[in-house]
Amino acid sequence: MALSEQQIERYSRHIILDQVGGIGQEKLLASKVLIVGAGGLGAPAALYLAATGVGTLGLIDDDNVDLTNLQRQVIHHTPDVGTPKVDSAKAKIAAINPDVRVKTYPLRATAANLAAIVRQYDFVIDGTDNFGSKFLINDACWFERKPYSHAGILRFHGQLITVLPGESACYRCIFHEPPPPSAVPSCSQAGVLGVLAGVIGSLQATEAIKYLLGLGDLLTNRLLTYDALTMDFRAVKLNRNPDCALCGPDAAITELADERPPACDLKGQL
Amino acid sequence: MSVSASKPILRIPDSVRRDVLAYRAHVEKFLTGETSAVAFRAYRVPMGIYEQRTSGHYMVRVRIGAGLATGGQLRKIAQMSTRFGNGVLHVTTRQNIQIHDVKIEQTPDVLEQLLEAGLSARGGGGNTVRNVSACPGSGFCPNERFEVAPYAIACAEHLLDDSASFNLPRKFKIAFSGCPSDCALASVADVGFFAVERDGCKGFAVYAGGGLGPNAAVGVKIEDFINGDEVFTVAEAVKHIFDAHGDRANRHKARLRYVLKRLGEKEFVELYRRQKQRLIEGGLASIASVRDIFEPFHRVLPASHAASVPLPPGVIAEKTPGLYTLPVTLNLGDLAANEMLAVADLAEKYGCGLIRTTQLQNLLISGIGAGDISAAADELRWKVQSLASQNPQIVACTGAATCKLGLCLSRGLATAIADATRDLPAVNGPAATIRISGCPNSCGHHSVAAIGFQGKAKRVNGRLMPCYDVMTGANISMGEASLADRIGTVPAKCIPGMMGQVMAKGSVDFNLLRRLIDEYGDFSVEFPEDYFRDFGSYEPFSLAGRGPGECGAGVMDVIVLDLDEAKSAAAQAARLPAGKDRDDTIYRAVLSAARALLVTFGLEPKKDREIFAEFAAHLIDPGWVVPETKDLLNRAVDYRMGDIDSLDDLLPQVDKLVERIDTLFKSLDAALKFRAEPVAAPAAANSSHSVRRIDLRGVACPLNFVKAKLELEKVAIGDVLEVLLDGGEPINNVPASFASQGQEVLATEPAGDHFRLTIRRSK
Repeated sequence: MALSEQQIERYSRHIILDQVGGIGQEKLLASKVLIVGAGGLGAPAALYLAATGVGTLGLIDDDNVDLTNLQRQVIHHTPDVGTPKVDSAKAKIAAINPDVRVKTYPLRATAANLAAIVRQYDFVIDGTDNFGSKFLINDACWFERKPYSHAGILRFHGQLITVLPGESACYRCIFHEPPPPSAVPSCSQAGVLGVLAGVIGSLQATEAIKYLLGLGDLLTNRLLTYDALTMDFRAVKLNRNPDCALCGPDAAITELADERPPACDLKGQL
Repeated sequence: MSVSASKPILRIPDSVRRDVLAYRAHVEKFLTGETSAVAFRAYRVPMGIYEQRTSGHYMVRVRIGAGLATGGQLRKIAQMSTRFGNGVLHVTTRQNIQIHDVKIEQTPDVLEQLLEAGLSARGGGGNTVRNVSACPGSGFCPNERFEVAPYAIACAEHLLDDSASFNLPRKFKIAFSGCPSDCALASVADVGFFAVERDGCKGFAVYAGGGLGPNAAVGVKIEDFINGDEVFTVAEAVKHIFDAHGDRANRHKARLRYVLKRLGEKEFVELYRRQKQRLIEGGLASIASVRDIFEPFHRVLPASHAASVPLPPGVIAEKTPGLYTLPVTLNLGDLAANEMLAVADLAEKYGCGLIRTTQLQNLLISGIGAGDISAAADELRWKVQSLASQNPQIVACTGAATCKLGLCLSRGLATAIADATRDLPAVNGPAATIRISGCPNSCGHHSVAAIGFQGKAKRVNGRLMPCYDVMTGANISMGEASLADRIGTVPAKCIPGMMGQVMAKGSVDFNLLRRLIDEYGDFSVEFPEDYFRDFGSYEPFSLAGRGPGECGAGVMDVIVLDLDEAKSAAAQAARLPAGKDRDDTIYRAVLSAARALLVTFGLEPKKDREIFAEFAAHLIDPGWVVPETKDLLNRAVDYRMGDIDSLDDLLPQVDKLVERIDTLFKSLDAALKFRAEPVAAPAAANSSHSVRRIDLRGVACPLNFVKAKLELEKVAIGDVLEVLLDGGEPINNVPASFASQGQEVLATEPAGDHFRLTIRRSK
């Protein structure tokens, strides 16, 4: 695939980079990234990946744009309120970069549908806002052996990790299982600084691009935490958990499922 | 203190003078494109002018014969550095002084103006007779048998006047030591002369075939005693042997020590004797004469200087009572141009007007009267800010920051050791000298050190860690010289702390050093992240992008690690019963085999799939490994991904692969190219050898670079692209951009009203 004159100009600042070049840009154009959740994290990730020239972007979201979203979900604009988020996002992506093909999935990610979608992509970005989805994405990426970027934001804090299934620690290596529902603050209770989504979602896009180009060191086996109030970025070193119920040698989880019974003892918590 | 002698010490022969004056025309031809970059380099390097790592910047290596310079000469060098260079000078371990960051079009001015001060860079580099070095103490050292510098100077003048001295198989180094202590490192020179007096006659014992660097060696004795006036005959005879027998085909095996190794000591010495006899019969011995170079610098002290005074630390008493030498201890040989001016002033104000460059990369101001020494030391401290601690003395090569061959950042280590030992009690004597080379090339002379460090890369938990071999026990002295032994390998990051402990008590505790090396050399422990970064670097340590060249030796270690792993995994798999363990072991063998040779291409992929992809691109596609290996790699990836359950049936193929990699490894030449025959035709369709061209006239920056780069990606690695560019910004920027990304800019030549840029794709 040869770059067109317009593409050469559009991507010239990438091509100049020693580590990208025309070869790297062509790789990006041939790559496919799935973004689960077209909300706070998914918005900046989608915008930057589109501008970057990632050839295919998949968007999963079953929600419509709400006025309360606009404080942080920068891909959606005021006139979009009430329209499906995937449609709103697709229109912005098309406006930024016509090179990008967008596949929209106006549905909720579940054990029944997620694996088949994940399978079609090279990298997955978790832009969801609830633990059930986060574990589901982690598990689906494990079963499909797809690399993905996990992130979460709350109040003034963000966290981020990249998972290479089978090579690096997965979300379940660290957190085992979703917390009981009573322990989880809802967004209305907690609130979130809008710009935090931009910071963390952009970092997720960075990891996707690095992975696709084979550049640098991915954020694997390190959980990056960000405190917007103190401006501290900290990377907490982690390892694969040999007792991980998903990716450990004696894995108890053998297929993708939506819900699991809550923890009732200390097994696997050593 | 006025000194009559602003006249140079070494007299530059007219032949060299003519060469220097002819140089300008060569530069002009290069600049107008009449001479290619490659042809020009062959002319430039023997003129003592090297291209630096930053493209377009050049270093001029000024020879300081016998390490003796006048104040006027130092002023001229300093002035050249300020006017044409970066204002920082560098004293080398072979007593030269380097001017850095000179533009190529200004190099003729520099050379011509140096000539006015009786200085030359001719033979500063390339396959030439290099600077003839001598004890820095010659002329004042109380231990010297007699003054050797006059012989070194006469020998240099004689050899400089012979055009054959500039076209040898490789470099040729001569050193003169005034006593068996061998401050001039004559034991490890191509030809080393030691002052010996026999029956009241001044003469020399002569050693030949020594050298530092890969396969460092101590010279063998070729003469018990020669008369002083025979030095030319001896030097000339050895030079003839080198000229005739040095391996011109393989520059990495070209030095005289390889001739010695090939012929054996007996035949080497025999050959030398016959050659010397021929020269004597030809009447050569009478060509040159030795003159008293120190005569203009002799001082008669006023009586006031006889009084003994408390001496500032580090000051050396000369053999003439009442005279002292003041050392100017530099930080790894660096000093600013204005500081060099100050040193010149001090030498003339307080001393005899002579300044010496030393093998430890320092300067010495000699001939200072007892009454002046304190004032001179005070003034020095005040005017030269970059004085280094004398304890310990640290010598380091330039390191991977500026050297294309380097592995480790040796100067960073030197600074860290200096920091760790700064406040410790002084350690006296040669034990206090630490020598550091960032790679096996030994530019930091680690193999002659009391404590030496040689940079290497080691794979720890699958990642590369900057490490150093620790060398001790060198004994450099006439007739008894032996090189340092490796006593262990430790991570770079633990060395400063280790040296702090070892030198804590005012002496070097070698027993403690050994114990600490055992402790720190245990690579089975967990290492902090910082250990995987070199000094002053925020990037993980990597060999990626390091050129092949002479760094071969360091890279070899890394290859052997992988190859051994591949072999042992393959052997182990053969013994294991079928099952997951066996399959995993087979996978490990494939992975290690695939990774082993990638470093020779400057690649260091970390992820498995990248390793396989690079292996396919660099070893399978060009035909070094049979094309079927691709299936093997695909199967391995499938297994890794869980798509297939077993690799059981692949073991025979894996064995063949490991064997092939071993064959290729053993066939590597010193430039890290395979000498083995390819086993398949290159897969690349792009086999036509016509040069690819792109016309980018009228295309502005940076889009011209973007387009040229895209075009370069279409040519095969090793092939050439021609780019037509406009003058001005485009021709200034585009070649520099390519060079900075590691591509080889072969030529930039004017072609009509535009320019033609020729680039070889090197990665």
